[in-house]
Amino acid sequence: MYAIEVENLVKKYGDFEAVKGISFKVNKGEIFAFLGPNGAGKTTTVHVLTTLLRLTSGKATVAGHDVVKEPMEVRKKIGIVFQDPSLDRELTAYENMYIHGRIYGLTGNKLEEKIERLLKFVELWEFKDKPVKTFSGGMQRRLEIARSLLHEPEILFLDEPTIGLDPQTRAHIWDYIKAMKEEHNMTIFLTTHYMDEAEQLADRIAIIDHGKIIAEGTANELKKLVGNDVVYLKLEAPEEVKCLKAEFIKGCKILADGKVQLEVENAAEALPKLFTLVQHLGVKILEVTYHRPTLNDVFLHLTGREIREESGENPFKRIVRMRMRR
Amino acid sequence: MRAFITMIYRQTKRFFRARSRVMGMIINPLIWLVFFGLGWSKVFNNPMARTIFGGVDYLTFLAPGIFAMTIFNQSFVSGVSVIWDKQFGFLKEVLVAPASRKETILGRLTGDSLLTTVQGLIILLLTFLLAENLKISGIIPALLIGFLLAIAFSGFGTSLALKMESMEGFQMIMMVLMLPLTFLSGAIYPIEAMPSWMKALAYINPLTYAVDGARYYLVGANVTKFSITIDWAVLSLLAVVLVGLAMVEFEKATID
Repeated sequence: MYAIEVENLVKKYGDFEAVKGISFKVNKGEIFAFLGPNGAGKTTTVHVLTTLLRLTSGKATVAGHDVVKEPMEVRKKIGIVFQDPSLDRELTAYENMYIHGRIYGLTGNKLEEKIERLLKFVELWEFKDKPVKTFSGGMQRRLEIARSLLHEPEILFLDEPTIGLDPQTRAHIWDYIKAMKEEHNMTIFLTTHYMDEAEQLADRIAIIDHGKIIAEGTANELKKLVGNDVVYLKLEAPEEVKCLKAEFIKGCKILADGKVQLEVENAAEALPKLFTLVQHLGVKILEVTYHRPTLNDVFLHLTGREIREESGENPFKRIVRMRMRR
Repeated sequence: MRAFITMIYRQTKRFFRARSRVMGMIINPLIWLVFFGLGWSKVFNNPMARTIFGGVDYLTFLAPGIFAMTIFNQSFVSGVSVIWDKQFGFLKEVLVAPASRKETILGRLTGDSLLTTVQGLIILLLTFLLAENLKISGIIPALLIGFLLAIAFSGFGTSLALKMESMEGFQMIMMVLMLPLTFLSGAIYPIEAMPSWMKALAYINPLTYAVDGARYYLVGANVTKFSITIDWAVLSLLAVVLVGLAMVEFEKATID
């Protein structure tokens, strides 16, 4: 049985189709990432799967329960960190945890012990009695992560868990996510528009754009859609060198500047073999560089656009500014 | 039961965290009572005026009205405060929880209404210092009337807030509803003295029955307009309907 099973899920807002019939399966114990630009339908999907939005058509099963027919059973088994904050800002970190625990049926010593353990896990124990409104964005995020773990969910939904956070805090939160997976063998459904995040955390990635899944697989599988890794060798006597031939070399070209361009499946593994091969020919290597396709290349390859978040400046604004300058 | 109790806990915690708001809610009715009530009570300090106000002095007439008005204002505001939960996201946390939503919202409404009733009690105790002829024995039944009023309007405010898209409409609704309902309740002047079209409005104003009921217990049967049975019936029905409506709305709530 899968942790999450989605078939032909459609969600419409009036005439607008936010999710256009997606299907996917998430295995138990894996981190599955939805990677896509803002407005691709990631959050809508999360809200449907967490029973907060009603789907228009299709079928979605979470932890073995239909999200439409048995929302209460689904709610018992999931935890969620929303994209936007969902804490009670007037209350303290501890009170937020306590209320969550009580609503989920935890009481007494067991609840208190858990709150302490989790607040220590996200390093907020010393701030437990401070109102949440005094917390930084990163601290609020960490508290939400701790809160989502309190009732030990089978499946955890993380909707853009590090959006708007500084690099250091992001790395920190990634560590928590990895630790959570390892300690509890939890299934994690993650949405993100950060390629590095998907790559760092996810076992499998679905790339989503305009409400459709356009590719799915491990990071390596996805990168292979674009092509192989490319290795560039600069040799001492290029004119004497013909193309290198070996089983692991998928393509070879001599470039105008005398460099040899080689296509290999995995550059990291191929490099040592290449060195031996060239040494056998008795040629000296002067320079080695290699390029691996990134998930951004994959997205570019599939959609013709980059996934990157607009840098707060859309083309329209730029035009306006140019006009104003005149 | 656990979600019910937890929400009462949460509303209480929040309430005491915002002390300035609490002070504001007490000061406002006090201003009415002292600067409005005390001032007019000197004007109306003659036998003819006393007959208009059912034979009691103006402050005694006004006190139950201010009590009901305080509860009405406060309960409406606390009901509408669901919109803050929407704004700051806590609503999502509640909606995704595996607890009965009807129970959750009922807990919230009950917690808010208990707190509002306590504020009503504070106002009531303060009015006892000013008004001459209030009955101490009337406090407890008047508080029960106050609680019914509070939970009814908390429910109404909640339903309204769940429908509202933003905070913008909020001030507008406050202005359009709160002051007219207060004036049309017989809290400040007797319904008898109103022109007939205003009277008609007063009869359909739920606040009228809370003012009337509170006046029955705090002042006496001779100053009331309706029988106390009618007051209880109207308020109970109103509470059941409006709380029921809030429960249904909350059950349906999604996060579009």
